Amino acid sequence: MSIHDPAAPHRTVPKRRVALTVRRDWQLWVLLLPALAFFIVFCYFPMYGVQIAFRDYKAAFGITGSKWVGLKYFEKFFSSYYCGRMFLNTFLLNAFGLLFGFPIPILLAIMLNQLNRKRFKGFAQTAIYVPHFISTVVLAGMIYLFFSPTNGIINHLITAAGGKSIYFIMEPDWFRPLFIGSEIWQNAGWNTILYIATLTSIDPQLYEAATIDGATRWGKIKHIDIPHLVPIAVMMLILNCGSLLSSNTDKALLLQTSGNMATSDILGVYVYSVGIAAGKAQYSYASAIGLCLNVINFVIIMLVNAISRKMSDISLF
Amino acid sequence: MFNAVNIVFWIIVLFIVLYPLWLILIASVSDPDAVLQAKVLVLPVDFSLMGYEAVFQYKELWGSYLNSIIYTVVGSGLSMMVTLAAAYSLSRKFAGKKIVNLAITFTMFFSGGLIPIFLNIRDLGLYNTRAVMILMNLVSVWNLMVARTYIQTSIPNDLYEAAVIDGADHFTYFFRCVLPLSGTIVAVLAVYYGVARWNDYFTGLVMLRDRSLYPLQLVLREILASLTSTGSSDTFFAAYADNLGGLQEALRKAEVAKYCCIVVSTVPAILLYVFMQKYFVKGVMIGSLKG
Repeated sequence: MSIHDPAAPHRTVPKRRVALTVRRDWQLWVLLLPALAFFIVFCYFPMYGVQIAFRDYKAAFGITGSKWVGLKYFEKFFSSYYCGRMFLNTFLLNAFGLLFGFPIPILLAIMLNQLNRKRFKGFAQTAIYVPHFISTVVLAGMIYLFFSPTNGIINHLITAAGGKSIYFIMEPDWFRPLFIGSEIWQNAGWNTILYIATLTSIDPQLYEAATIDGATRWGKIKHIDIPHLVPIAVMMLILNCGSLLSSNTDKALLLQTSGNMATSDILGVYVYSVGIAAGKAQYSYASAIGLCLNVINFVIIMLVNAISRKMSDISLF
Repeated sequence: MFNAVNIVFWIIVLFIVLYPLWLILIASVSDPDAVLQAKVLVLPVDFSLMGYEAVFQYKELWGSYLNSIIYTVVGSGLSMMVTLAAAYSLSRKFAGKKIVNLAITFTMFFSGGLIPIFLNIRDLGLYNTRAVMILMNLVSVWNLMVARTYIQTSIPNDLYEAAVIDGADHFTYFFRCVLPLSGTIVAVLAVYYGVARWNDYFTGLVMLRDRSLYPLQLVLREILASLTSTGSSDTFFAAYADNLGGLQEALRKAEVAKYCCIVVSTVPAILLYVFMQKYFVKGVMIGSLKG
């Protein structure tokens, strides 16, 4: 029982206990200190600095010394020509990614759980994790190599079958399939981990009882596996909703070309290009866009979490 | 019947997962002309190591390779120490823990954004230094939670009570009892942190200017992604023309060298995973449950 629990029975002799706690607990704070310092300096300092979105940031004046301009940069962003297109592109990229990418790990976990050859199962489980360890740069490089219009293997197959070679990486229509397809290839296996952990924690007696009752394999999947997976799946869904506007910026940056801008022009990349990469970086403007994204993402995750808690009692917090 | 369908299902899945990797491997030891004509499909064609010989010449690649080894080893080591100490703290009860938990979790869902983070690094004097490559992303909230859950669930509380009776304080208990029992979670953290750092590309892109500080992934990008606005891979390869038998020949070899670069840059990450795999799968499962 915690000594900090207000309901603890020994409320009457707190003095010695408090002294004892302090004497003991300072060491916990020492162990916590490096991590805490990291979060303060590298996460909370920038949150304080985000006020430059409302100022005309000049390095010479610093964060608090720069002139306050209110919502100027937000207005500039929302009235800019490509604003709508970028919101749509970012949302669609993530929504399609979620639609196609979310169910596959669940399917893989259920099917893996049904494999009864132990060595094959072990091999399959090890193998599907491997693509996760490939870097984004290499993944993008693989796409460039395999989908190259002149000597990529995919286009050789297409022309061998009598089709016309496609310049995949320059086609707006192919940006999303390439991005999402490669995402699934790389991470679907890895994302099974949670589901597999859930399935292995199911009491084997449940399956035995089902067998005695004459349940088929499909029946067991439907009535035992899936109900056990639902809570964790809902939690993953909530978490994923929190990044509907914040996709994998570095990957989009690597796959963006002058040809596919109509679909690859997404908010995260835009923040990078106007705030960091541009010759004359617009810090305040880029911060304002970044802040919009973070606030929207935060609101979405809180909303989804609240709705889920109301409807199904499943929530992150 | 179900079993047969399932086996077929898995053979297809494994083919999709593994064939692209196999293609890279066989292309890296084939002749450039065969690779360019997409004749390398099942086994290496006209086996040759000229790609690797060319890659061996790319001094800039190896310089960045060394940088990445430094960032990965020092950075992950530091990350693991900081994470484990904090994870132990958070696995115990103490006054103020709730606020700390909330403050840490909040960073998972909200951040200052790219530009304020960048300006913060610049104001701290860390822009374009090796230190930024080590200190950025030092602690991952997710890893911290996994480690805390692991310590909470797999180290019995009786051990703590026995240690306290024997007069152990938190330091003694952490270093003498918790760390020796945390082998599995150390393996998990080593893989998570190690691979994330080895593969990190964005931090270097934003925070570094000097090419001599570049990590591997930034140089790889110049070699592999020739269509992006900033990196034309031909310039990279042309720089080594003198050592590789002229420009024409250097560019021809480059077609295979690209595959070799993928192999030499990816093998360390996959090896780390395969070596740690035994502990890893077990540890991830324990840490993620109830996480």
